[in-house]
Amino acid sequence: MTSPLLTRIAAEHAATLAVQSPGAQAQAHRRSALQSLLARGLPTSRDENWRYANLRALEKANFTPGTAARAVSAAELPAPIEGFTRFVFIDGQFAPQLSAAPGSSGAASLTRLQGELPTSGQAFALLNEAFATDGADLQVVASAAPADVEVLFYSASPAAAYPRLKVSLAPQARLRLIERHVGSVATAQFINCAVRIDVADGASCTHYRLQESGAATTWTDTLRATVSRDAGYQLHLLQIGALAARTSVDIELAGPAARTHINTVSLADGQQVHDNMIVVDHQAAHTQTQENFRGIAGGRARIGFNGLITVRNAAHHADSAQSLKGLLAGADAEIDLRPQLEIHTDEVRCSHGATTGKLDDGMLFYLLTRGIDPEVAQRLLKWAFITDVVANIDVPALRTHVQRSLASRMQDAQSLEELLS
Amino acid sequence: MLIIEDLHVSVGTTAVLKGVNLTVPTGEVHAIMGPNGSGKSTLSYVLAGRPGYTVTAGKVSYDGQDLLALAPEERARRGVFLGFQYPVEIPGVNNVYLLKAALNAMRKQRGLPEVDAFEFLGLVRDKMKLMQMPETFLSRGVNEGFSGGEKKRNEILQMLVLEPQLAILDETDSGLDIDALKVVASGVKSLRGPNRSFVLVTHYQRLLDHIVPDKVHVLAGGRILRSGDHTLAHELERRGYDWVISEAA
Repeated sequence: MTSPLLTRIAAEHAATLAVQSPGAQAQAHRRSALQSLLARGLPTSRDENWRYANLRALEKANFTPGTAARAVSAAELPAPIEGFTRFVFIDGQFAPQLSAAPGSSGAASLTRLQGELPTSGQAFALLNEAFATDGADLQVVASAAPADVEVLFYSASPAAAYPRLKVSLAPQARLRLIERHVGSVATAQFINCAVRIDVADGASCTHYRLQESGAATTWTDTLRATVSRDAGYQLHLLQIGALAARTSVDIELAGPAARTHINTVSLADGQQVHDNMIVVDHQAAHTQTQENFRGIAGGRARIGFNGLITVRNAAHHADSAQSLKGLLAGADAEIDLRPQLEIHTDEVRCSHGATTGKLDDGMLFYLLTRGIDPEVAQRLLKWAFITDVVANIDVPALRTHVQRSLASRMQDAQSLEELLS
Repeated sequence: MLIIEDLHVSVGTTAVLKGVNLTVPTGEVHAIMGPNGSGKSTLSYVLAGRPGYTVTAGKVSYDGQDLLALAPEERARRGVFLGFQYPVEIPGVNNVYLLKAALNAMRKQRGLPEVDAFEFLGLVRDKMKLMQMPETFLSRGVNEGFSGGEKKRNEILQMLVLEPQLAILDETDSGLDIDALKVVASGVKSLRGPNRSFVLVTHYQRLLDHIVPDKVHVLAGGRILRSGDHTLAHELERRGYDWVISEAA
């Protein structure tokens, strides 16, 4: 049975194809993605892994992507991170005038993404497949120094956007990737992002994902990474934007001694809902996961973090550790942390801890007895709560940007400046 | 400096202080001794304004002001300092940041401009030398991963930087080895002067071997049962507290 929402998506899809009239092959491909989506259906809040997402926001979303991108000047964009080669997409479309020249830049080469983006067949990945018209295909070869690349997805109009990114690291390649999503519109907008990352044997990828979309945005994304033998994938997820955001991450530790390190910070206030579902699949021996989550919910905000770690039969000597912490900073705020382990073999080491609480009265009193203003003391403690995870960002300019961005969300940019210096 | 009159304090439904009277004149060092559970820490917390301690009767005047009417941070800015028995760890809040923010809060209260960054570092370095603390402590989180003794030294360091008018040190000597005790005592002594008062809350007389107090008070059962000069501390060390309690009964 097709829901009214899917019926509307199908109608918007048909209208979009009529306007865009892409080539026969692309058209067939996008129709097929839509058919798969219609057959599969969208998740509902009755699905265990979608309970905390605000799926009702989709009912009001407009799924049709924009037709003509507004002209955006470089000055309007957030400042680039020094030393990183920047590629910019405006409303999902590549913007050559704002980007480095495509093609090779050191060890990395970026081309326009053609064809499909193999993700998990998840509903939102299919939705991206059905609507997206452009994307980035980043290939990285081995080199002495890591390739440093920033891909900025900027929303200039309130139309829907479908950012897409495919990243392939050759054996022994090294990449530091900044994936930034920044919104300039305050009106409602739907963004549905799909990212696929392949880390080949012995390669190393550090991926910084900054979700700083507009305040009324409905955000969904699907990120899938495969990590091969002796390879490392480090993911820093920063969730601060959007009104309703759902992030779905699947990481396969496919080769022996593959490892991943995931740091997630979620900062939500007002009516924001941030839901994060991160699945790590240990498929091979000696694979390692380190997962940290820090979330602060103020106002009536809701934050969910569902961290599922599966250790398969072949993954003996797997090692995983989860540290999930939530801080309730509003009387009506809610945080739901779910560390989950599914272990199908012996000889593994898996630890997890999850705590949610309010600001510590003892710490607060200590700061007051030193003459610190109560509001400043509260902000300091909130800051302190997330800072250990942020400190792991090893690009100083990016770390400073993230700290400033977090500080401004906490409305304490001025006094926190001192902390950063 | 500090006048406590008939102070009654409850924690929850339990009456802990039951009529404390204590006067600490400016420039004097008073020691408060007493057995476990006598209300020593409660008295320290009430003076600093910790929530959860209800004053049911009595008053406290500090420098001519009603101390109990002031919020904890206002007391601090007016020169009241509490050295904690168990200083809390605050990972992520930088030690040097806290010191500077605290000092600037006091200076603002006194109508002084913010401290110059260069001067401030010089000041802190001098005080750290006195407390025999390595400079690496500055860049660490407040008390984060500090040993018990390091935490106590850090409390005294804060006191030295803030130069309070009234310092209440709650069992600063407990858990210190003899060398650390000497360092802490030298920190207190360096600040002792005609314009400053100290309330030293302690279990043992050994701190008072290094800092000779002007007065010693015995707090037991929520009241000051006996007051005397520094020789009272020695007598307590020799004879324990029971005789004070039975004589007062």
